[in-house]
Amino acid sequence: MKYSGFNPNEEFFVDMQRCIGCKACEMACAECETNGQEPMIHVNYVDRASTVQTTVQVCMHCEDPVCANVCPADAISKDEFGIVHTANTERCIGCSNCVMACPFGVPKKEENYDLMMKCTMCYDRTSVGKKPMCATVCPSGALFYGTKDEIQEMRPNSTPVNTFIFGKETVNTKVNIMMPKGSSELVIF
Amino acid sequence: MAKLPVSEEHIVAQFGPHLNYSPQEGYEGRDEPDQLVKTHCCFCGMQCGIQLSVKENKVVGFEPWMEFPFNEGRLCPKGVQRYLQNNHPDRLLSPLKRVEGQGFVPTSWDEAMTKTVREIQRIQKEYGNDAFAMLSGVSLTNEKSYLVGKFARVALKTKNLDYNGRLCMVSAGAGNKKAFGLDRGSNNYSDLEYAEVIIVAGANISETFPTLTHWIWKARDRGAKLIVIDPRMIPLARTADIHLNVRPGTDSALYGAMLKYLVDHDMLDHDFIDNHTSGFQETIDSVKDYTLEWAEEVTGIDQEKIRMAAELWGKANTSFLLHARGIEHHSKGVDNVLGCINLVLATGRIGKPYCGYATITGQGNGQGGREHGHKCDQLPGNRDIENPEHRKYISEVWGIDEKDLPGKGLSAYEIIEAIHRGEIKGLLSICFNPLVSLPNSNYVREALEKLEYYVCIDFFLNETARHADIVLAGSLQEEEEGTTTSAEGRVIRIRQAVTPPGDARTDTSIILELAKRLGVRTKFDFESSEAIFNELRVASKGGTADYNGITYKKVEDNMGVFWPCPTEDHPGTPRLWEDRKFKTPDGKAHFNPAPYKLPGEVTCVDYPVILTTGRVVSQYLSGTQTRRIGKLVDQFPEPLLEIHPVLAQKYGIKQRELIHVSTRRGEGIFPANIVETIREDTVFIPYHWSGKKSANQLTIGTLDPISKIPEFKVCACQLKPLGEIAPPSKESKAYASV
Amino acid sequence: MKNRSYNIKAMLIATLLSVLMVVLVFYGSRELQNFDAALVTYLFGTVFAFFGIVYRYTVWLQRPPTWIYFKRGVGFLFTGKIFSHFCFAVKESVENIAFQKFIYPRGKYRWLAHFMIAVGCTSAFLITIPLTFGWVHFTMAPNSISVYEAHFFGFKVMDFDLDSIMAFLTFHALNWSSYMVIFGAGYYLRRRLTNPGLIATQTFESDLLPLILLIAISVTGLGLTYSYEFMKGLAFDFLAVLHAVTVILFLIWIPFGKFFHIIQRPAQIAAHIYHKVGKQQGMAVCEHTGEEFTTNLHIKDLKKLTKKLGFDFDREDGTSHLDLSPEGKRSRLAQAHLRARQDGGNLFG
Repeated sequence: MKYSGFNPNEEFFVDMQRCIGCKACEMACAECETNGQEPMIHVNYVDRASTVQTTVQVCMHCEDPVCANVCPADAISKDEFGIVHTANTERCIGCSNCVMACPFGVPKKEENYDLMMKCTMCYDRTSVGKKPMCATVCPSGALFYGTKDEIQEMRPNSTPVNTFIFGKETVNTKVNIMMPKGSSELVIF
Repeated sequence: MAKLPVSEEHIVAQFGPHLNYSPQEGYEGRDEPDQLVKTHCCFCGMQCGIQLSVKENKVVGFEPWMEFPFNEGRLCPKGVQRYLQNNHPDRLLSPLKRVEGQGFVPTSWDEAMTKTVREIQRIQKEYGNDAFAMLSGVSLTNEKSYLVGKFARVALKTKNLDYNGRLCMVSAGAGNKKAFGLDRGSNNYSDLEYAEVIIVAGANISETFPTLTHWIWKARDRGAKLIVIDPRMIPLARTADIHLNVRPGTDSALYGAMLKYLVDHDMLDHDFIDNHTSGFQETIDSVKDYTLEWAEEVTGIDQEKIRMAAELWGKANTSFLLHARGIEHHSKGVDNVLGCINLVLATGRIGKPYCGYATITGQGNGQGGREHGHKCDQLPGNRDIENPEHRKYISEVWGIDEKDLPGKGLSAYEIIEAIHRGEIKGLLSICFNPLVSLPNSNYVREALEKLEYYVCIDFFLNETARHADIVLAGSLQEEEEGTTTSAEGRVIRIRQAVTPPGDARTDTSIILELAKRLGVRTKFDFESSEAIFNELRVASKGGTADYNGITYKKVEDNMGVFWPCPTEDHPGTPRLWEDRKFKTPDGKAHFNPAPYKLPGEVTCVDYPVILTTGRVVSQYLSGTQTRRIGKLVDQFPEPLLEIHPVLAQKYGIKQRELIHVSTRRGEGIFPANIVETIREDTVFIPYHWSGKKSANQLTIGTLDPISKIPEFKVCACQLKPLGEIAPPSKESKAYASV
Repeated sequence: MKNRSYNIKAMLIATLLSVLMVVLVFYGSRELQNFDAALVTYLFGTVFAFFGIVYRYTVWLQRPPTWIYFKRGVGFLFTGKIFSHFCFAVKESVENIAFQKFIYPRGKYRWLAHFMIAVGCTSAFLITIPLTFGWVHFTMAPNSISVYEAHFFGFKVMDFDLDSIMAFLTFHALNWSSYMVIFGAGYYLRRRLTNPGLIATQTFESDLLPLILLIAISVTGLGLTYSYEFMKGLAFDFLAVLHAVTVILFLIWIPFGKFFHIIQRPAQIAAHIYHKVGKQQGMAVCEHTGEEFTTNLHIKDLKKLTKKLGFDFDREDGTSHLDLSPEGKRSRLAQAHLRARQDGGNLFG
């Protein structure tokens, strides 16, 4: 792979409370070369009947990806930069194990391709030093791609967190979520 | 002759709207474009910078433009997808003529032009010059806007020219002129950054100006308090510090009560009021009875929330007030605007860093387009068509006799009314789709059918154009050089990325050719867009919207110049009023009494529910462009009736049940979307769709007496659940509804 | 520890099956009577590849997620309506293995190119492996100078005239395969060299090398034909060696590289059967969205599987995070984030 331009100092920061649900990221994601015209980012209403809250979800790129572990076809791999890559097209058998096991609800089964596809952090762009499409166009800062220093300066009262607690399970990720200052983890339940 | 030549379904099948999707792996050449053209989005007033990828004279994709200071690469879904309007299967590639029973068939430019000129001359000879009207729009560049204004007055010699800005920000324009003597947002948006309190009134920023969200969030990151005034919990309101869910049509009561609170608690900038304003006393007299209790009664907002909002606003050191169509689309739109301005002036927070006030202009060139004379009462430089001095100056620039310059004409909706009365017989339209965008669309359709001759310039066959005798295939934004002026007042460069396909021509060349054939060639001898701009500069010189010192090069070098910019060495004016020299005759900012009045139509036993309308994030205005882009349509495939569960329960309405909505003017059927995010007494329908899916079948044509803006935002309706669940949205095909 | 015992198991199975194959070669070629000694290098390559494939396949099957699909797939095939299950499996095999129909929606040229490679490779294997093993050989019919006889396992199966179309097709079958592979692999090579998404994510050894090998095999194979038919055997020996080298490289590469997907692909059918049967047993409904999202069977198996792999998504009340659909999970995360932000006193900053 062409690692030459990947900037290991730049990271992904997500803050879904800033999300306005516009789906610019979804449209832009489909312009990314790694996934054709299919968007890999997810924007959905949390509960439209009661609120306009939306959430935006990119792949969190877990340290120990559940998706890769449950894959029966060895189709998902993680590279040296911690990017968890989308299913290898020739191996993926479309079983959806990863889709149902991912604790963040990220992988997507493209039914007519019989193939799982997921966010690769815009590998075609990040591997040459550009920012991912979604984080570039996001008008609300719900998605930001840059250095820790930059985010610190922009949002002095928030702390990036990459530890997620699901009951007894702790999931560590490459992607950060912005939390109140001083937080060290996000407890989902 | 303006009836449909064949069935509407037949026209739709041939000319769309059809949905355009990018090929599975993007257009050929997307990876290696011939060039990346730094230009701007063709949609809203934010005018975000974007780079279009061009391959072999086709726009094949985009790349974010990271350096442009307003948006730094950020875009909304419409911006991301805007490149798909190019290469579109519905694109008109040659002039069309209406043939009864056959529809629209291609014709030659010569035949189309000859017929058009003959008809213009016949109608004007028979019924007088003003019987031929022109409707224009502000997606056009400054150059085209200026050209249209000059064309109508000098070539068509009609007074009846108006534009779709009439449905946009005329209330704000009129209010600003009354208060400040000048019509432009007072600050650029970077002044939001350190504002302590931000009021957003009737502006669904997160859906209609998504990229502006960045600046508001930025302020909030630094502790700013956000107050959102809107009948619905819009995405911006969800996280706001205070959401004032105002009852539609009662905005001025709210501002009046807030002003009274400021006065009662002496949260005023007396120095500013005394030295730089006038009209304060009569204005506060007009709100002396507007107690919080009364305001709660009228607006339906909990008085404690109003108090908290007034308190926050009153105590702030810096602030920014933004408003948009939500308060402007009213029969008292100007009053609502003035009510907001009164709050700003009372606290003196204007003309200083991080102290701002602005309307958020909706259309791409809503700002520039409303300054250079394609408005019925206006001449370039935002001059007044009835002011003798202004008339004299412009007549000189145009080289005509002042007596030949027509006077004030009818506004957009009044033109429709005049057609009904038989006073207007012919129409030329460009960049305007009144059948979808004007209120009371049935009435508009009847008017179109009464026209003796209708000629339309457009790049797609929009719904109104289906009634045309001749359609002239014009150009997209990316097919001509020019400038626009963003909502901030920043004049920016629009680049020609590609040339018009097939036999289509640039809008400019079409208008110039018509002018030539109408016998005024010498007045329209322009070699380029820049030449038109240079004449515009002269024409605007000395006016309030002074572009004299702005050149193409200056705009390019600085990524935009803020007007007023009177001389070439002037840097432009990002923030107005720092000198406290207001453009009113007395040089002061004016308070204006804005007492509360009822809306044009109030609820009653027969029509007990308030109907309000608005937009969704994936569509733009009448949808001529965005209802043709596949993914934008898929994001919000059909208009839904938003209704609160309490009201829904009263009628026994179920989620996605079809609801028959009727008003005194029309009716329509929409699926219900039951949500707690709207007031219990109000329903909402977005308006981008045509035909039976159009919300404007229902809306009312009551106009603001000053701005002549129609009252889209409030009318009374009746709901009747039909007991039938709507088929899935995706199957609705609402984008092509007839 | 566990891994090593798996490997021994796989080693045993692979060795056994390879020995069995050698035995079959011995007897299939009538105790090497029909064996073509010139092909002995190919034989070694094939046996090695076979060993590698079986070894890796066995290792792969033993992975818990794979084993579930294998077990469930085979299990369902042999329970209940066996006949209808078999029909389903046959139909699926034809559609997905023979015709690879799932590639078509990804791009019709991609499908066509893949199909050409698949047909080319399959036919080439079907011809060369039996020849290499000595299972098939041709002789001149007794008392004739123009009739050929084909033998399989030493038994005569057919004969045909030397000038017949049948003869032309048979003797050139490998050439047709080569052309197909060259076109197909050429298309993919071009795609991989020009598509920025692929350029960003591919590697030379697992994506480009296999295509280059396929093209090399086909070109050198064709070269042999052209050499003796049109160029009087020019450079024939050199080409023969080159061809052998590329083919053997290819064979050895199968168990380790991209071509292993050929062996893996039937698992897709197991996944389809699994889904079909699961559906009959009932769908799981997301507690957040209230909508069906996958089969109960799938969720039940995944809960066990994740536990086995060391992940525990159980909640205190005995339910699991896995009871949520992907959309439900995303929403719950957002709600948790909103709560945390609200508790922190500020949604922004």
